[in-house]
Amino acid sequence: MKWSYMDHWRSMSPHGPIDQWESRTSMDRFLKQVAAVGYDAIDTFDFRWYQIMGEYGSVANYQEFVQERGLERIVNTFHAADYDPRVYAPHVPETHANILEDFRVTMDRWSGIELDNIIVMPATLYYDMEPVTEDKIKTTAELWNKVGAITKDAGVKLTCHHEFFCGIQSRAELDTFYAHTDPELVNLFVDTAQHCIASVDPIDFYESYADRVTGFHFKDTRHQDLIGDYRRRPDSEIMADTTEKWFHEMGDEGGLVDFENFMRAVVRHGYEGYLSVEHDKANKLGGDHAESTAIARWYAKNVLEKVAAEEVAR
Amino acid sequence: MIRWGYAINQFNPQFDDFVRRRQHQRALRVISISGFSGVELSSGSGRWEPLGNPTQIAANFGSVAGFGEFVREAGLDAVSSWFWDPWTRFGEDLTHGDDPTDPAKRDGLIAHAEWFAAALAELGGSVLVVRPAPYAGQVPRLDDAAIATLAASWEAVGTAIAAHGIRLGLHFDFLSSLRADDGLERLLAATDPTLVGLALDTAEFAIAGRDAVAAVRAHADRIVHVHLKNAAAIDTDEEYLTSAAEYTVLRAGGARVVPRWFNELATEPLLVDAPGVVAELVRAGYEGWVVVESDFSPHPATSVMLNGWEVQHVLAPIS
Repeated sequence: MKWSYMDHWRSMSPHGPIDQWESRTSMDRFLKQVAAVGYDAIDTFDFRWYQIMGEYGSVANYQEFVQERGLERIVNTFHAADYDPRVYAPHVPETHANILEDFRVTMDRWSGIELDNIIVMPATLYYDMEPVTEDKIKTTAELWNKVGAITKDAGVKLTCHHEFFCGIQSRAELDTFYAHTDPELVNLFVDTAQHCIASVDPIDFYESYADRVTGFHFKDTRHQDLIGDYRRRPDSEIMADTTEKWFHEMGDEGGLVDFENFMRAVVRHGYEGYLSVEHDKANKLGGDHAESTAIARWYAKNVLEKVAAEEVAR
Repeated sequence: MIRWGYAINQFNPQFDDFVRRRQHQRALRVISISGFSGVELSSGSGRWEPLGNPTQIAANFGSVAGFGEFVREAGLDAVSSWFWDPWTRFGEDLTHGDDPTDPAKRDGLIAHAEWFAAALAELGGSVLVVRPAPYAGQVPRLDDAAIATLAASWEAVGTAIAAHGIRLGLHFDFLSSLRADDGLERLLAATDPTLVGLALDTAEFAIAGRDAVAAVRAHADRIVHVHLKNAAAIDTDEEYLTSAAEYTVLRAGGARVVPRWFNELATEPLLVDAPGVVAELVRAGYEGWVVVESDFSPHPATSVMLNGWEVQHVLAPIS
C-alpha cells in the first residue's frame, strides 16, 4: 500500500503566506515534511510546468529533486484547466480543437517522466453548463474519449475527477457520462469529499465503477451541499456563503466520509495503485497544511492500513 | 540504544493555549507519525495545564494510566521524560516553588520530585529533567556555599526518585546562574554521579558560547538525557546577566531582538552540529532518550516534521 500526497501547500514566510514553489529552499522543506511522515510519492499540477522549467530546467530534474528527499516519484498530475465556454469547454464542440491541442502540448511537456494518470475535471463549472442535458454530457464524453486516446499514446491514463461544483456531479449525470465514455480511454478518479458534498455515496459510486478507477483523493468534508451551492456564481469552492471551508484532512473529528468502509471496498476490488491524500485549502479558518498532512498520514497508517490488513485476511 | 522523542513544550506557547483534548491528540499524532516514539512533558499548574502535572492529568484523563493509554493510542511508546522547573508554583497543593538553593525548601522539593517521578515511571519514562539553579539575573554569583547547597538538594532528589526507577538530569540553560564561573562544572563535581546526571541541551550550550559536540565529549560520563536542537544566535553580549532575562532575552530576543534562539536541526545557521553530537554520543556509548526540541517554534507541526526527516535520514543512521 503506497500513499501519495497531492501537493496543495501553504506555509508562512517573513513576507506572508507562500507556496512551496517559491524557491528551492521552500520546496526542500515541503518535500522533507511530506517524506518525514511516511508518504511514498507526490502528485502535482501540470500548470507548475513553468516554474519547474525555470527553477529545475526539466520535469525530470524536478523529479530527481523530489527523489533526493526520500520520495519515490511524481505519480499523477492534475490538469486544472481554465474553462471558458467561448474557447475551452468540453460540452461546446467548437472548442474541442483547442482542448485536444492543449493535451498534445501537455503530454509532450511531461514526457520526461513516467506518470500514472493525468487527472481532469471533465466538465465546466456547473453554471456554465446548465441546463445539463444528456446531449451535453454525450458531447463532453466524445471529447474525453479523444483526449484519452492522446494520453494513452503517451502512456498515461486519463482519469476524471468530479468536483461538486462541476457540470457532471450528480449520480445521474455521472452514470450518463460513464455510459458514454470508453472504459479503455476514460477512467475515474474518486475524490471522497467531493462526492460526499454532492450527496453521492463515495463507496457505492466507487463499487459501481471499480474496474475503471485509477486513483483516489482521500479527503474529508463536514458539509453536504443541500441548497445548491454547486451553482453559486462566481464561485462555490471558496466563496460559498454557507461554507467557508469545504475540505478537511481525513482523521479529524466531524468528518462525513466513512473511510474505513471505503478502504475495505478498495481492498476488496483489488486496487493496486497509489492512494493519494488531499486536503486542499487546509489553511482556511486557521488551519495548517503541515499539521493536516501529518494527521492524515497518521490516520492512514494507524487506522486505514490496519483495516486494509483485516480485509485482506478475510 | 538511542530512543528518539520530542518535547511537547512548543505546542503550548501561552498559558491559555493547548488546553483541549483534540489539540493534545493532534500534537501526539504529529510527533508519532514523524518518526518519534516518545514525548517529553513540561511542568505546569492549574486547570489550563492539562498535561502539566499528575493531578491535572488525572483530572483530564481519569488517571495517569488513562493518560498513558492516550499516549499509546497516538502511536507513541512512552512519556520519555518530564521537564520540571522547581520554581513553579503549584495551585494544586498551594505551594510557592521549591528553591533548591534554600535548604528549608528541600522537603517540598523532594516531595514534588517524587510526585512527578511516580507518574513518570507509570508512563514509561526514565528521566526527570530539572532547572537546577536560578537564572543568573536573579541571584548573586554562586559561591562555593551555594553550589554545596544545590548539590545537597539535587542529591537528595536523585536519591528519592531513584526509588521510582527515575534518574535526575540537570538541564543547563543559557540564562542559568551556573553559566558563570564554571558553575555547571562545579555543581557536577560536587554531586554523586550515581544520583545526579546531566540533561544536555545542545542549543542552550551553543547560545552560551559553548560547543555542543565538545560538551558531549566533556560530560559524556554524566549525560543521562539529551535535548537536541539547533541554535540561531549566540548570547555574545552576556545578556543572560540582566534581570527578567527569561522574558526580555529568551522570549523577546534581547537587545538584538533575536526572533528565535532555537531552530530546527538543519536550518541555517548551524550553530549545533547535530550529526556531530549524535556521533559523539554513540562513541561515548550513550543509551537513552534523545528528545528533539523546538521550543518557541511559530510552526510546531513543521518543526516536528522537518526534524523528523533529519532524524530518519541523517541522525538515526549514524546511531
